[in-house]
Amino acid sequence: MSDNHADLIVLGAGPGGYACAFRAADLGRKTVMVDPRATLGGVCLNVGCIPSKTLLHAAEVIREARHINDWGISTGKVSVDLDKLRAKKDGIVGQLTTGLTGLAKRRKVQTIRGTAQFTGTGSLDIDGESWTFDQAVIAVGSAPLRLPGWPEDDRIWDSSDALELRDIPKRLAIVGGGIIGLEMATIYAALGSNVTVIEFMDQVAPGADAEAVAVLHAALEAEGVTIHTGTKVSQVKATKTALTLTCEGGFEGSIKADAAIQAVGRRSNGSLVAPEAAGVEIDDRGIIHVDASCRTNVETIFAIGDVTGNPMLAHRATHQGHIAAEVASGHAAALDTDLIPSVAYTNPELAWAGLTEAQAKDQGIAHKTASFPWAASGRNLASGGGDGLTKLVYCPNTHRLLGASIVGRNAGELLAECVLAMEMGGRLEDIALTVHAHPTLSETIGFSAERALGTLTDL
Amino acid sequence: MSDIIAPPSVRTRALEKGIDLEKLAKDLGRTSIALEDLEGGKPAAGPAGDTSYWEVDHSQYGPVTEEPMSRFAQVAAANLGAANALIPQVTHHDRADVTAIEALRKDLKPEAQARGVKLTALAFQAKALARALREFPRFNASLSADGKTLILKDYVHIGIAVDTAHGLMVPVLRDVDRKGLWQIAAEITDLATRAQSRKIALDEMGGASMSISNLGGIGGIGFTPIVNPPELAILGITRTETLTVWEGDTPRPVPMVPLDLSYDHRVINGADAARFVTYLAGLIADPRRIMV
Repeated sequence: MSDNHADLIVLGAGPGGYACAFRAADLGRKTVMVDPRATLGGVCLNVGCIPSKTLLHAAEVIREARHINDWGISTGKVSVDLDKLRAKKDGIVGQLTTGLTGLAKRRKVQTIRGTAQFTGTGSLDIDGESWTFDQAVIAVGSAPLRLPGWPEDDRIWDSSDALELRDIPKRLAIVGGGIIGLEMATIYAALGSNVTVIEFMDQVAPGADAEAVAVLHAALEAEGVTIHTGTKVSQVKATKTALTLTCEGGFEGSIKADAAIQAVGRRSNGSLVAPEAAGVEIDDRGIIHVDASCRTNVETIFAIGDVTGNPMLAHRATHQGHIAAEVASGHAAALDTDLIPSVAYTNPELAWAGLTEAQAKDQGIAHKTASFPWAASGRNLASGGGDGLTKLVYCPNTHRLLGASIVGRNAGELLAECVLAMEMGGRLEDIALTVHAHPTLSETIGFSAERALGTLTDL
Repeated sequence: MSDIIAPPSVRTRALEKGIDLEKLAKDLGRTSIALEDLEGGKPAAGPAGDTSYWEVDHSQYGPVTEEPMSRFAQVAAANLGAANALIPQVTHHDRADVTAIEALRKDLKPEAQARGVKLTALAFQAKALARALREFPRFNASLSADGKTLILKDYVHIGIAVDTAHGLMVPVLRDVDRKGLWQIAAEITDLATRAQSRKIALDEMGGASMSISNLGGIGGIGFTPIVNPPELAILGITRTETLTVWEGDTPRPVPMVPLDLSYDHRVINGADAARFVTYLAGLIADPRRIMV
């Protein structure tokens, strides 16, 4: 046996990988974590969730400054120093990744910078060095999908490129109106780009509640974003002066842009670790399938996060990371829920969990909905919030909460109450009889439940 | 989302303890499960009486030792508690003359030995009960949980309560009306033996028309068994005793087996029960009538 031996080795240091490595270390395991990046935190911390939220905050401030004129407050024309903004973002990312390094040290988790590939059921190669292990966790995440047939051009970005904030294109085309595409639209529209979003499905944020999406759609348009739904990009031409996107479907014609972002989804990185060498099965989309305990088909190898398929979300990866560490260490654990919240940090935010009305209808599940418009929320109006909606899906027989969709400021934060209620098996009465502070945005959840029960006096 | 309501803390604990929540909910007749339910605890159903005075520090009166109730025993306890609390039960007592059965068993002893089968009195009683259940279809039935529908069964399966080291088990003998005595006797022995070593499959329990609780081998002159729902009645049997029966002026010693039939009074009334037990006792007294 080589000197390079790991009791438990975690491939990938993203939110899933580090959560797994840290939890395993806390359970007394000698843990090694491998990642090719210079800093820990994976896509999420380095080129995903955190930098995008930093820029979204900046976008929010810019937008507020522009709109605060109505309140008699003038800031003059808002100017953006791109270098400073980029430095601020990089500083925050740096602060968080440095913090992670400290947490890893404190737990005595050995971190190796490198790319790992399996060479057998109990062995791998890390940049030419051979390692053996007792147990391994694959947490190598996902990468942005590339659309076929597009030219090679520096003006074609993926989401990570877009977050580098190279420049502010005058005309920006975003292909894909999912969460990532809409967040990019929010950022660049605030920074001054003329943004066009092209979405193949009939609505942006496919899968989210149509009524809630309509509120977001209108708000984005009001901020100057052009949205084409039901539209396919059939051809892209790069010339010296512009990129030209030829569109078919809902919008027929061509769009000229100075930059284009591809945000059409993400692909699992599963194949990068040569899982077949360890006998780990992988499907043709690069996904490594696991059970609720995050086990692959090989007993000693686990997989967590984006590499295990949809939904590709950091908070799912984190929970799976803990589960894999616990199961690998002999504890009983499982991801025993389908309530993985989805949040678009747009302006306004869009957040949902559980069943949407459309899903309940499609699946033939008995349901009713109750909603509360934010135009009637004192707190929302008093804080300059725009349109918003809180909408609950519930079982008409038991009154159990089945799903919630919220669009409006801080929707992502507000959703937590609904997710907790669903995990606890909460009913409309539980929500309505829980005293919500006044005036708050969270009241809209209590109000929705009251509305369903016929006890609401605020509408 | 599951139909069972259990918070994440409860689901996690259930997973750690290897408890199937869907099954537990079914056993308890509930849709929501709380942390306490995973600990066994009080019977699921029953009057919400004050049991706090049951909590006594017994060691203040003398030395005691504690022994945990097994999971198996806890489930059985909960079911018995629910049956006793929710079903108005009456027990009808009678006796049956077993002279003929005992004579027959004696005659058949050599053949039984040759076949390697123990031809017990219980085999005859099970066969007689099967015949009686065919004659009185309302005893071969179950009442729906909401009390709105009586389900009549066109089969005769008899549960045999077996006293084992790990608690009471009730494996079920299928189609007793269609089987001969040799087969019934052999199957009872087989079920009882396997129950002792806990090798009864899940599908070998449940679905009985009625159960028999036989204490004949131990003793007693009568008892009041508790109905095993969803069955409507249970037959208790205690030790055969030779009694003096007067035929006119002549006393005659007759071996008599005590029969105790507990029944669900919501479905069966006293006169029905008396007719049923009288008919059953008649079959036992004259086993030829079972064939007729």
